[in-house]
Amino acid sequence: MKVLAAGVVPLLLVLHWKHGAGSPLPITPVNATCATRHPCHSNLMHQIRNQLAQLNGSANALFILYYTAQGEPFPNNLDKLCGPNVTDFPPFHANGTEKTRLVELYRIIAYLGASLGNITRDQKVLNPNALSLHSKLNATADIMRGLLSNVLCRLCNKYHVAHVDVAYGPDTSGKDVFQKKKLGCQLLGKYKQVIAVVAQAF
Amino acid sequence: MALFSVFQTTFLLALLSLRTYQSEVLSEPLPWAPESLKVFINSTHQCLHLQWSVHNLAHHQELKMVFQIEISRIKTSNVIWVENYSTTVKWNQVLHWSWESKLPLECAKHFIRMRSAEDDAKTPEQSFWSNWSSWEEVDVQNSLGHDPLFVFPKDKLVEEGSNVTICYVSRSPQSNISCYLEGVQMQGEQLEPNVTVFNLNHVAFIRETGTNIYCKGDQGDSIKGIVLFVSKVLEEPKEFSCETQDLTTLNCTWDPGSDTGLLKQLSQSYTLFESFSGKKTLCKHKSWCSWEVAPESQEMYNFTLTAENYLRKRSVHLLFNLTHRVHPMAPFSVLFTDVSTTNATMTWKVHSTGNYYTLLCQVKLYGEGEVTQHNVSVEVDGEQLFSGLEPDTEYRAQVRCANANHFWKWSEWTHQNFTTAEAAPSEAPDVWRNVKSVQGHSVVTLFWKPLSKLQANGKILFYNIVIENLDRSSSSKFLSIPAPANGTELNLDQCSYQIHVTAHNSVGTSPASVIIVSGDPGNKEVEEERVKGTEDGFSLSWKPQPGNVTGYIVEWCDRPRGPLCDLQWKSVGPTTTSTVVSSDAFRPGVQYNFRIYGISTERVPYLLEKKTGYSQELAPSDNPQVVMSNLTSRSFTLSWKDYSIESQPSFIQGYHVYLKSKAGQCHSGSEKAVLSDDAVCCKYKIDNPKQKTFVVENLQPESFYEFLVTPYSSVGEGPHGAFTKVTTPDEYSPILIRVILPMVFCILLIMIICYLKSQWMKEKCYPDIPDPYKSSVLSLIKSKENPRLTIMNIKDCVPDSIEVLNKQEGTRKSLTETESSKPTYLYLLPTEESYSGPGPCICFENFTYNQAASDSASCGHVPVAPKAPPSQLALLTSPENLLKALEENYMNSLGEIPAGETSLNYVSQLASAMTGDKFSLPTNPPEPALCSEYKMQMAIPLGLASPPSSGSSSLSSFTLLDEGEHYH
Repeated sequence: MKVLAAGVVPLLLVLHWKHGAGSPLPITPVNATCATRHPCHSNLMHQIRNQLAQLNGSANALFILYYTAQGEPFPNNLDKLCGPNVTDFPPFHANGTEKTRLVELYRIIAYLGASLGNITRDQKVLNPNALSLHSKLNATADIMRGLLSNVLCRLCNKYHVAHVDVAYGPDTSGKDVFQKKKLGCQLLGKYKQVIAVVAQAF
Repeated sequence: MALFSVFQTTFLLALLSLRTYQSEVLSEPLPWAPESLKVFINSTHQCLHLQWSVHNLAHHQELKMVFQIEISRIKTSNVIWVENYSTTVKWNQVLHWSWESKLPLECAKHFIRMRSAEDDAKTPEQSFWSNWSSWEEVDVQNSLGHDPLFVFPKDKLVEEGSNVTICYVSRSPQSNISCYLEGVQMQGEQLEPNVTVFNLNHVAFIRETGTNIYCKGDQGDSIKGIVLFVSKVLEEPKEFSCETQDLTTLNCTWDPGSDTGLLKQLSQSYTLFESFSGKKTLCKHKSWCSWEVAPESQEMYNFTLTAENYLRKRSVHLLFNLTHRVHPMAPFSVLFTDVSTTNATMTWKVHSTGNYYTLLCQVKLYGEGEVTQHNVSVEVDGEQLFSGLEPDTEYRAQVRCANANHFWKWSEWTHQNFTTAEAAPSEAPDVWRNVKSVQGHSVVTLFWKPLSKLQANGKILFYNIVIENLDRSSSSKFLSIPAPANGTELNLDQCSYQIHVTAHNSVGTSPASVIIVSGDPGNKEVEEERVKGTEDGFSLSWKPQPGNVTGYIVEWCDRPRGPLCDLQWKSVGPTTTSTVVSSDAFRPGVQYNFRIYGISTERVPYLLEKKTGYSQELAPSDNPQVVMSNLTSRSFTLSWKDYSIESQPSFIQGYHVYLKSKAGQCHSGSEKAVLSDDAVCCKYKIDNPKQKTFVVENLQPESFYEFLVTPYSSVGEGPHGAFTKVTTPDEYSPILIRVILPMVFCILLIMIICYLKSQWMKEKCYPDIPDPYKSSVLSLIKSKENPRLTIMNIKDCVPDSIEVLNKQEGTRKSLTETESSKPTYLYLLPTEESYSGPGPCICFENFTYNQAASDSASCGHVPVAPKAPPSQLALLTSPENLLKALEENYMNSLGEIPAGETSLNYVSQLASAMTGDKFSLPTNPPEPALCSEYKMQMAIPLGLASPPSSGSSSLSSFTLLDEGEHYH
């Protein structure tokens, strides 16, 4: 629960201020009205592409920083400890319509944002001196927040989608330290893999 | 021995009967047996918590009981722990007991049972145990899940140096599992078929973030691991102390010792507990904590500081009286009043710490390198009078205070500076002069030393100079020189002057310094003495003066080689006849000159002695520039007139002349010396430094020598640089040169003269054309006295001319070309105007003359180029052009002149009748260079001369032409 309070709930509050925390967001009917707090930029897709490219460009460095900071056996057993075995990760279909892709992107970024919050929190405790890792994690989370906002704007403006159901990764707060490290590594490995596909799709 | 055996048998029988009795008694159940035994598991701490109760106790009954607890592992028969737990049991009480397992509880099943007995002090052994409770099984593995591999314990926190047991539980026993610590495989022992344990002894601290321990199978199973956190041993807080500055807050500090090396969340906490008040506070910092003093004026405090982490707890205690731990705050409002030239009053305030506290304040005064200290008792305000201060001096005062009744600690210092007022300068400036006579005037450079801070008593603003003419008392001059000048130049006449110098600051004037500049320079000759300097300076002494002397002055230049000299002086009293002159400016290898003056009672300085020396003599650094002269086969002279011995880094005592020769023999006056390069040479020693010439003698002719002149002093000689090479000449060369050179010169002179006057000589000695007047023939003629005979004058000659004709073949000439066939005349004999001296000429047969003496074969003829165009031919009208044309075409013309194209007619003025036949004349060109053959031109009577040979004449006309070249 602490994780929900510290990581996911504030994220939801920020992203879905109109509807309160934690409530699932169904896809709004096409004809439903939808409004955003701030006016959306005209070149949203361009910004989204740029943000995806930015994330894609830094994902591998973040992954390396992470598993290096965890110590042995992580750097030498990436396939067993950091393989992208995230079962509940939201799917993405690169050949879908733009609307579908945007909705799936929204779910992915929401999932990743929450997971990244957990990882950041854990690493600040477990590796308090890994400042470059903390910095990279924070920078990635910042870009994700902007991307999520832009995707929502795009969905709202063009497709009149105001609500998207999202799911979040497992809560790591109750896990042991080794398991926290492993789950974080798996998530970042998955993130590196997925973000490349998503960036290519847009 | 038999007796001992009997006794032992009896004892054993008695013991056996007792045990039998006890068994019979225990077979009856005890009424207070433990019941409702429950076991709780704490995996994190690897603890089993037991909970049970004892029934059948009467209300309010308390019974002291002992519970025996047995713990088995894996199976009930494998008892690993037995413990008797004694406690007082009350009615309806639930009892608790905990046990920490070394092995993680997940690694094996555990079984627990217990029994009880009344804990009677009279019977030390519990003889009446209740029945055992049934075994309680603890099996954590059942709840682990379905993962193939588990590693335990999770996130274990241990102290450095302790022992840890780790295990893994595998769901597939057939797989081979390996476990690693920091990349090193661990060796374990199998506890059960699917459980292996690893005992880590004396674990070491590796890093704050823990140590990863992981296991993996050889069948591609996933890796499972744990993180082991190893903490350094928590140290007991050191130097625990509490104090107060204001009696309202206690500040407690301690040294936490070395860091435990744990994550912040796992590191120790500090708690402060005061036993009298019962208050407790959790400290926010690792090394200090604040405690609010109780308002009810609690004086005694008993603190317990506890440092605690997950593994250990450390405590220290401190008991004190609050009033004995007062650390006053630093005094404030430090002020200075009534600051005069020598006195000042300092006041300050202290922070109030209660009405009945008296503070002891310590005051320190720093000034001019001295420190004075005063202790003052203060309640509210402090005051301290400073006296005996120096004028115009900055002082630094500082004050601190402490509890006067129960000294604990001094407060921090509070600093403040002040400056005393100025006073008039107390001393006259130290004045000296330098006098130079320039064109009948005295240029007096007046120097004075700035007053020291103690003498100046303030900032010197200017110096006043009064120049009083002693010869004319009415005449005086006044100058004011602004500070910080330390000298001035005065132009004075030859009179005597008394000069007063005073220094002024803002308060007043210093006493005057008086010096007399005498009109008579009185520069008597004083011999210079040498002194030896040391690192500490020059020790100078002089003879005491018989008369009244008010003092002595030693004068020198700090930079004698510099343009400004930097004149220095030192004044000593009249009874002093020696002093040590030292200066930071003294450098080794520099010659310093000292002059010692006596100051008469009339304040007139007069020179007493001169001294010169080096603070440290150095070996000469340069060799003189040597000039060699007078080189003979036996000697040569060396001289180094320009070498200055005064500017050398030591007193030059003489010179060494080194001479290298192949012979290696040294003559008298020299000695053999071996140089640093092992070369052997002869060394001549010159003891007089002023002797700057040397004649090297006894040399061998035609020999090679090398020489070097180097100065030497008491510390060594100059560098052995490059030797100068010289080769002596042979003995006869000079003589030969003396003879041969003039001879050669004379011969050359004669040859030059002869060359220059060759024409004249020729004319005089063997002229080409003899002067007929000088001819011997004349004497013959005269002797015959034939008046008709005359000598032909050249003016009387009518020059012949050559007519050059282009004879064109009529069938091949065009009309336009006929113009070029005009004859061109060449004048063979130059007129007076055109004659330009000797040179090539054209010679033709002149039939006017007899040619009896002629050499018919040698007379040249003009080779006219047959193919010369008309324009070229026109140019031939002048002799120069003609010659040019001849030079160009002559060689070709000799062999290849086409016949019949050009003809040359010679027209003799004397034989004009023959000119009609133009083509009959020979056209042979003369040879310019060969034409100087002499032809007799004198008209001689036939009777005297032989008749001309027509053959030869004819021959002379046609010699140079081939047959084919003749035109008819």
